[in-house]
Parts: sequence; C-alpha cells; structure tokens
Amino acid sequence: MKRKHRRLMVVLTSLGLLGAAAALVLTAVEDSLVFFYTPSDLAERGTPPDTLFRLGGLVEEGSVRKEGSTTHFRVTDLNQVIPASYTGVLPDLFREGQGVVAEGTLNADGSFIAREVLAKHDETYMPKEVAEALRESGQWRDGATQQ
Amino acid sequence: MFHRFANPARFSRIAARVLPWSTAATIILFVVGLYFALFASPADYQQGDTVRIMYVHVPSAWIAMGCYTFIALMSAIALIWKHPLADIAARAAAPLGAGFTLIVLITGSLWGKPTWGTWWVWDARLTSVLVLFFLYLGHIALTNAFDNPQRGARAAAVLALVGFVNIPIIKFSVDWWNTLHQPASVTRLDAPAIDPAMLTPLLLMALAFLLYFITMLLVRMRSDLNAARARALRLSAAE
Amino acid sequence: MIGLGLLIRRELGLALRGGTDAVMAVVFFVLAAVLFPFGVGTDPAMLPRIGGGIIWVVALLAAMLSLERMFASDHEDGSLDLLYLSPVGLGTLALAKAVAHWLTTGVLLLIAAPILALLYNVPANAFGALVASMLLGTPILSLVGGIGAALTLGARRGGVLLALLILPLYIPVLIFGAGAIDGAIAGRPIAPQLMVLGGFLLAALALAPWATAAALRQAIE
Repeated sequence: MKRKHRRLMVVLTSLGLLGAAAALVLTAVEDSLVFFYTPSDLAERGTPPDTLFRLGGLVEEGSVRKEGSTTHFRVTDLNQVIPASYTGVLPDLFREGQGVVAEGTLNADGSFIAREVLAKHDETYMPKEVAEALRESGQWRDGATQQ
Repeated sequence: MFHRFANPARFSRIAARVLPWSTAATIILFVVGLYFALFASPADYQQGDTVRIMYVHVPSAWIAMGCYTFIALMSAIALIWKHPLADIAARAAAPLGAGFTLIVLITGSLWGKPTWGTWWVWDARLTSVLVLFFLYLGHIALTNAFDNPQRGARAAAVLALVGFVNIPIIKFSVDWWNTLHQPASVTRLDAPAIDPAMLTPLLLMALAFLLYFITMLLVRMRSDLNAARARALRLSAAE
Repeated sequence: MIGLGLLIRRELGLALRGGTDAVMAVVFFVLAAVLFPFGVGTDPAMLPRIGGGIIWVVALLAAMLSLERMFASDHEDGSLDLLYLSPVGLGTLALAKAVAHWLTTGVLLLIAAPILALLYNVPANAFGALVASMLLGTPILSLVGGIGAALTLGARRGGVLLALLILPLYIPVLIFGAGAIDGAIAGRPIAPQLMVLGGFLLAALALAPWATAAALRQAIE
C-alpha cells in the first residue's frame, strides 16, 4: 500500500512539473527563438546601431530603386516601414510585394544596411494562369510583379 | 514461447504474399507520379519550374517524420509487450528513415539556393530536421553497439521514445517561430494553399514514396528474420 | 526521499575519495575554451561576440566527458544489481546520479564560466545572463546525459556512441543558453530564453529519471 502511494506521488509530481514546464515554454516560445525581426518589433524595442540582426517583411510596392549594383528598397510589415539597401546580387525571388529576410545593421539615420538578402516565399503554390485570373477578378490581392 | 515463434513466421508468410503486389504498385505509382510531377503539371507563378523539387522534397519529409513516429510506436510496443516483431520493425525502419531525412536535407538545399538565395540557414525548421537526422544515426549506432542484439534493440527503443519530442517541434516550428521556411501548405485546418493541378502530383508522389517505404520495410524485416533463423540453425547444428 | 539523500551522499563520497573525473572535466573546459582565440584570432571586436557561444559549446563537451563513468563502475562491481533489487527504485537512483553529477561537474563549470567570460572580454552586462543560463542549463545536461550514460552501458565504443546520442539532445539547451547571452549583449530582454530553459529543466526533471530507469532496466535484465 505504501509503495503504491509513493508511486502515485511520484507520478503526480512528474505531471505537475511537466505542466509547469509546458506553461513556461509556451509563454516564452514566440519571443525566444526569432530568426528575424519585423519592422514593428524594431519600432517597439529598437536596436542599438551596428549590431548584426535579421530584418524580415515584405518588399514595399514601388520601393525598389537600383543604383549601379546597389539596390534600395523598403521593408514593411504593413504597419511599420524601414528603408534598406543592399549591394550585390539579389536572389531571383526578390520581388516587390514578396517576403524578404535580410541580415545587416541599422545605420545611425535608422536605415538598414543589408549584408545578405534572402527571399522568403509563402506557402501558396499555383500556376501562373491561375494567379493572373485571380488577380484580374480581384479575388486575390498580391503585389507580385508580372514577368 | 510458441506465439513468439509463430508470429514472425506468420509475418514472413504474409510479407511474401504482399511483396510482389507492393513492388508492382510502387513502380507504377512512381512512373505515373513522375510523369505528373515533371511533365503534366504547371510551373509555379513565382518559382517557375523550381517548384518541381517539391514533389520529392515534401513526400520525403512526410515519410521521414512518419517513419520516426512508426519507430517510436514500435519501440513502445517492444518495451511494454516485449514483442520481438516490434524490435525487428524498428531496426529495419531506422536506416530507411535516415535515408529519407538525408533526401529532405539535400533536396531542401537544392531548392533553397534558387528560391531563398542560400543553401542553408539555421532557422528552427531546418535545424530540427538536422537533429532528426542525428537521432536516426544515433538509433542505428546504438542498435548495433552491443554483442547481444536484444540489448541493442531495447536501448534503441528507449532512445527512440526520448527523441520523439523532436517530431512535434519539426511540425510546429514554422508556426511557433518566424522561420525562413514557409508554413504548411497541405496539412492545415483550412483548404490546402496549393493549386489542385499541383496537389495531384504531390499526393501521387507521396503515395509512391509511402509504398516504396512499406516495400523496403517488408524486405528488410524479412531478411532480418531469415538471418536470425540462419543464426539459430547454425548454433543448433554446432551443439 | 531518505533514499534519495543517502544515494546522493554516497555518490558525493565516492567522487570526493576516488574520482578526479570532475576536476578533469573543468580543466578540459578551461583548456578547450582557451584554444579558440589561438584558432580564430584575438580580434577584440569578435571575441566578446562569440565568447558566450564558445563557453556554452565547451560546457556541453566538458559535461559529457564525465558522463561515461556515471553508471559504469556500479555496473562492473555489481552494486547496480543490488540497487536494482533494493526498495529505492531505479528512478530515484537515476535522479540521485544526475544530482551528484551536477554537484561535481555542473557547479564547477558554473564557477569557471565567468572567468572564461573575462578572458573573452564579454561585456559586463552579459555576466548575469551567462550565470543564469548556466544555472538553469547545466542541470539539464546532467539529467539528459544520464539517459545516454545508461543507454550505452556495456556498449562497444561507448564514449563516441555517447556523444552521438547526447549531443543532438543538447542542441536546444545550447541554442537558448547562448541565445540568452547574445540577447543580453545586444540589449534585448533575456527573460524568454531563461523561461524556456527553466521549462526544459522542469521537463527534464519530470521525464529524464524515468527514461534513465528504463534504459538501466534494459542493461541489467
């Protein structure tokens, strides 16, 4: 009987510990492991200049401007906007209205100097004709530039 | 003692009957699936023909994770009911799972370069799949690390159950954390975010991969059983 | 409870009398961390940035060094079989072994880590994060490591195998431990990282002794 009681105590303690662990991890999980920060995150807490971090968001419509090998663009999360620039070859899927994740530092004037630019694509897959039809009928808003 | 011996024997008989059919079905599905994946499906509106890597990458990922879940299930059965077939199934499945995980990592890398612009990033999805690959390698190494194969199988079973925490992490990493990897397109609560013309080849290829996995699993389990029987016969002949 | 205390005291007594394992682990910890500046250069801008991560990586390896002997000597001289038959239970034994391993290895790593951080010129505002993350993280290394030590009991090439099994399981601790230090250096809040580490510690406390006991049972039977 005593052994049975002790066993029950051990199981209950383990379950309690697990519950507390799940509560702790789930509260902190979204802030704890970020591959990139959004412009809103930056506006909220700011980042000291010259620290390396990743900025993620959409390339704002009509913001891409090329100057030689340097590309200027603006990263937005439809809430905050951060001007950015990158010197070098951009990935093929770098397009206005599409997702982008850039690693670099903030300038003193608040603009982002990217060292590396990665294109992030969403989980939607469809043929070109379908995308065009949807866009024409206005059922789908997307800024992807026509090729 | 009797059912211990009888069950593997019955399994061998059933496997022998199933194998020709599953082999034929695998070949047919691969031919049809590859035709759809490479020729009879449209290019993506953003990625162009690069999207065809998906028809190998995504099914491999499903099998890689499904295989680990299968091993964990077999391990639980082996530890609780001490069923010898469960040990054999787990041992036979682990190298297959490792192979599929390697395919996921390689095709993902080949897909990442043209779309994202990089072979590899350390985001939560990619890292957790890499951990899955190491878990498979650890499982295989532990299975073979003991002079007594029974001891190796049971130790590997404990490891498989411990490592199972990684499976939900892989699945939900794209939802919990902001990753470079995009979220799920097919396995989500609302309608799939993938056009029917591209979903068909994806599901065909997934079925082909699944049948290939089952066929190879049966072959490996049967040869494992035969090897054990040969060993037992040699031992009894020597006595 | 009494059994747990007695077992821990037995382990500590054995460690104090016989073993230099724990001291060796700390010496390895310092030595390996000191190697890095020779390899990657002593750029004063770079060392503080990579220091936190290097200290954590080397801590994982050092904690692993002394794991192999956790159950091996008890297994060889037969006391493991006696403990198995005794009323304390394998789960209690696993917990006691992990606590003793942490007291003899983890605590020493915890003391040595700030000294290494000084050598790496880690900024002063990150020391709190370093100590807090090691305080929460090193017990996880002992608890999870116990599973690996029990699994590889009696295996061929046990040492390499132990590394292959345990290091993938250590990766989350490394990510969040080093993440806390990086966050502190960059001036970000580190509470989320510490909360995740705390969660891992509680989960390891709840689950690792069971898994270790299950692995020990396979080794004894």
